[in-house]
Amino acid sequence: MNELQREYPEEIERILAKYPPENKRSAVMPLLYLAQRRQGYIPPQAIQEIAQILELSTTEVASVAGFYSLFHEQPEGRWRIQVCTDLPCALRGADEFLKRLCEALGVAVGGTTADGLFTVEEVKCLAACHRAPVFQLQGDGEIKYYESQSIDTVLALVEELRCKAESKKEGA
Amino acid sequence: MVVKMVSLTIDGRAVAVPAGTLVVDAAKKAGIDIPVFCYHPKLDPVGMCRQCLVEIGRPLIDRATNQFILDADGKPKISFGPKLETACTTPVSEGMVVVTDSDKVVAARKDVLEFILTSHPLDCPICDKGGECPLQNLTMRYGPPVSRFLFDEKMHLAKHVPLGELIYLDRERCIQCGRCVRFQSELVDDPVIGFSQRGRALQIVTFSNPGFDSIWSGNTTDICPVGALTTADFRFGARPWEMNASASICNHCAVGCNLTYNVRREAKAGGKTVIKRVMPRQNEMVNEIWLCDKGRLAYHYMESDQRLEQPLVRKGGELVPAGWDEALNLVTEKLRSAGNRMVMLVGGRLSNEDLFNLGELTEAQGGQKLLYSYMGGGDLVSRFAPPKGSNLGELGAGSVVLVVACDLHQEAPLWWLRLKQAVKRGAKLIVASARPTRLDKFATHVVRYAYGEETRTVAAFLPVNVAGAPQVIQSAAKTLTEAEDLIVIYGSDGLYLEESTALARTCAELLLKTNHTGKVNSGLLAAWQNGNLQGGWELGFRTVPDLAERLEKAALVWVAAADPAGDDPALAKAVRRTGFLVVQELFLTETARMADVVFPVLVNAEREGSYTSGERRVQRFYPALPPKGIVPEARPDFAIPALVGEKLGIELEDHSAALVMEHIAAKFAAFAGINYQRLAEVAEQWPPVGGSDLYYGGTSYLNRQGLGVTLSDVLQGESLLNPAPIQTTQRQKPSADALPVYPIQLLYDRGTTILPSALLHERLVQPAVWVHPTTAAEHKLQSKARLIYEGEAVEVAVLLSEQTPPKVALLPRSVGLLGYWLEA
Amino acid sequence: MLEGLMTTLKSMFEKPVTIQYPEQKRPVRARFKGRHVLKRYENGLEKCIGCALCAAACPADAIFVESAENTDEERYSPGERYASTYEINMLRCIFCGFCEDACPTEAIVLGDNYELSFTSRAESIYTKDMLLEPVPPGGQPTPQRTPAGVFTRSVPEMKDPTD
Repeated sequence: MNELQREYPEEIERILAKYPPENKRSAVMPLLYLAQRRQGYIPPQAIQEIAQILELSTTEVASVAGFYSLFHEQPEGRWRIQVCTDLPCALRGADEFLKRLCEALGVAVGGTTADGLFTVEEVKCLAACHRAPVFQLQGDGEIKYYESQSIDTVLALVEELRCKAESKKEGA
Repeated sequence: MVVKMVSLTIDGRAVAVPAGTLVVDAAKKAGIDIPVFCYHPKLDPVGMCRQCLVEIGRPLIDRATNQFILDADGKPKISFGPKLETACTTPVSEGMVVVTDSDKVVAARKDVLEFILTSHPLDCPICDKGGECPLQNLTMRYGPPVSRFLFDEKMHLAKHVPLGELIYLDRERCIQCGRCVRFQSELVDDPVIGFSQRGRALQIVTFSNPGFDSIWSGNTTDICPVGALTTADFRFGARPWEMNASASICNHCAVGCNLTYNVRREAKAGGKTVIKRVMPRQNEMVNEIWLCDKGRLAYHYMESDQRLEQPLVRKGGELVPAGWDEALNLVTEKLRSAGNRMVMLVGGRLSNEDLFNLGELTEAQGGQKLLYSYMGGGDLVSRFAPPKGSNLGELGAGSVVLVVACDLHQEAPLWWLRLKQAVKRGAKLIVASARPTRLDKFATHVVRYAYGEETRTVAAFLPVNVAGAPQVIQSAAKTLTEAEDLIVIYGSDGLYLEESTALARTCAELLLKTNHTGKVNSGLLAAWQNGNLQGGWELGFRTVPDLAERLEKAALVWVAAADPAGDDPALAKAVRRTGFLVVQELFLTETARMADVVFPVLVNAEREGSYTSGERRVQRFYPALPPKGIVPEARPDFAIPALVGEKLGIELEDHSAALVMEHIAAKFAAFAGINYQRLAEVAEQWPPVGGSDLYYGGTSYLNRQGLGVTLSDVLQGESLLNPAPIQTTQRQKPSADALPVYPIQLLYDRGTTILPSALLHERLVQPAVWVHPTTAAEHKLQSKARLIYEGEAVEVAVLLSEQTPPKVALLPRSVGLLGYWLEA
Repeated sequence: MLEGLMTTLKSMFEKPVTIQYPEQKRPVRARFKGRHVLKRYENGLEKCIGCALCAAACPADAIFVESAENTDEERYSPGERYASTYEINMLRCIFCGFCEDACPTEAIVLGDNYELSFTSRAESIYTKDMLLEPVPPGGQPTPQRTPAGVFTRSVPEMKDPTD
């Protein structure tokens, strides 16, 4: 019984029940999500624990976590603003949008704001070229998409999230 | 089994290959090179690198008649696809036309190479693979002279990434072919390295502890088509073209892997010729193209500065250097007076020639020819081993293998690998063991018994006993009775000499009673711990249960390549009390320290000889180092008894190992017809390795020096099962709370020939007993416990291990400890 | 006969074509191939990376190289590899300059020194210390202690593919 199992006994059971026991390894993705939900990233210990649960090698689990860009192995901001800058988006000004967003938040691409709330990342296609600039917001265990954005709308969102974080802190 | 043949045309050449063959292999068989990076003939194809793109056309078929549509000339009409196809993932089909040299293909190869090289560093001058690098060779042959990509955009990544203490990764050089990752997960079931990230950021990672925790890691450096993976042992050691290659045989276990020593004169070693690396040498009947890390890295004992340099003679209680004449005269004189009260004790590291001469000398004296081994039953292996033509690599559907009391992964790694592959081809595996092993996963039936129940468990499979047995035994027994071929492999997990002799007998009985004798791919194999123990049995040496007593009573004991005193306190006592002790050794072992005369000998890389593998295959090894290189005064083992024999009037060959083999062939029926010429015979093997097409099979060496010859069967019929069943000694429990201790064998042992390889030290077994945590708690075992052996107790460290079965303690061999019981 | 003596007389007052070697030395041509020199970078690091391509190229088998791995604590050359042993047997060398051509870092250069004489065979073997040029002003002798991650390239980066 490891930490992950102690924390989410029912969820793990529910996830494992979806797959035949001889193909337990198929549960690696949902379990990685579960682990990420807790701290916003997947620490090495969680990778080891998932490997234990699924009887895989640690390396196999780490490979999966490494392959998918929605799994994070480093602790970063609470929300990740992930802007697509592929060619069609760039044609619609995604590059400029990203640059201005970074300037407004005072970070470089890939960097995290001083308050630890936001990380700005550049990603590949988000499948909404016609509504670029587009970004996905990943945080608090969910992913949301924001299309046809401008620097004003994104900064408004940032403000809104900051307030949310503040109020939580006060509430706590 | 009839294999359907498919005929196709490659570059205008008609080729016929078995159905299911991949285009790339079919072309190779026809002598046409299709360059590859990710494809390897021993691995499943993935089609990742795209280097093997070719034009493939298939005949048009009339759907109504299911016949080929013919053109005006009466030839089938061929339809070529609009795009190139990967030759490594496409199986051949009837009438297929493959074009590997059209402009389109040439251009595609060039482009793929240009693409692969976009981020490959131009550091061939310092790369260990430089000179034997598939990427280098293929670029020279097919690649573009210049790149259109920007040099500034090359990725700059870490060049010195230790994946473990044995293997280093150069991230820049990796071309992401995945051969290493696939080898580790597909072939050897150690998925301890993997790919992380993707696209250009893709990199090889390991998260195991210790890093790259696999006994097969060295093989990844052979099949890596670039210099991304290098061994810590050879890193920057020499350039490949500077070294000489010399064929040899690994003697660290019963498999007898064929290998090649790469040697070079070195300033660091004072101008001596030294071994720079050990590479596998192809023998598809033994080790294919692989080596375990022990075989690859545990060669440093050969050039250790601890090697004995000249004969030693005891004078005034001290061993002092002496001349050969003095030492030989002294031994001769003592032999004369000892007469038949002489004991010859030999170890499994000696060659057939050494054993023969030592045996002849002993027989002339009327002495006892004893074999130093903790496993018995080699005489039964001689009679029951799979006959000529057997090959573990050919087992498949219909074959059954029973593995008893043996952790093959540790005791004979290549057999483990080959059995695992046999299961993939459809063979069935039955594993009977007291503790979980790495083979269980691939077994059709896993039979778990308690330590001490080995022989009884195998006896339960016998047709006469099976009726009342538990379900798992009944179904396993059914599988092995119905098997077309049955191979039984026994080991020494938890067994002492008597028990393993008894087990061997029951295993042989099982083969006899289920009619699995005298057939190709059916028989008995033993996982000996040394390379030539089977040779010892073949040449008339025997294990005895009362070794200590015999050593003690002898007037003269001659020990060759064995260290009884270092392994076993009771034997140490016996050796100390013996009349006169002669030792021929590489090192000053515990036994050698007690000797009256010590002779220094050569290692196998300094001389010629042959070993008999566990499968009774006699294989020749060749000198790699000059004989007077490392230890000028030492002699080959077979020369010493010959020199003594000369003084006693016994004629023995002291110079040429080849001549000794002729004497062996004349005396022992099993060896009849074997000589050094026959042992050097080779045949064509698949896959081709070692040629100019390094990209295909890796850097394993082509076998030009001999595939070896399997010994003939000597005994048939009723006498097969002699001797009679063995009674094993019951050991008295010293106290009610004492835990029984069982010996186990691990790969990285602390043997005389392993310890000098510093690189392996982190992986060597530690001197401790293994106990399950629950058992330890029940028996109130702390970090130290008392190990009881022959009435005496020593303190020993306790290691808690979940893998250990309850109510027992396990003690790895070779750690200098021995015991039957463990007390708090 | 007088004519002959005239020639002798004339040449007595001509400038001699011989020089007083070894006090005087004739300058060598730009492409002269004399004894080898192992070059250093300005900071004193050795250019030689121990790749042994010179030894491979040498038609006389006169060069012997052994290499080892650099660390940042003990660095001899940029990159990972350096020559731990570098020997040229000057008796064997035929001064063809192939080694110079083969060298990927322009570390080995045939210099101006043609004064090679030995009294024994062993003396004809020039070791790395004898071949290495002196540390340039402002440079450090090797091995050097260097900051991590600076000297990661053995072969200087190629910027222009036509270079």
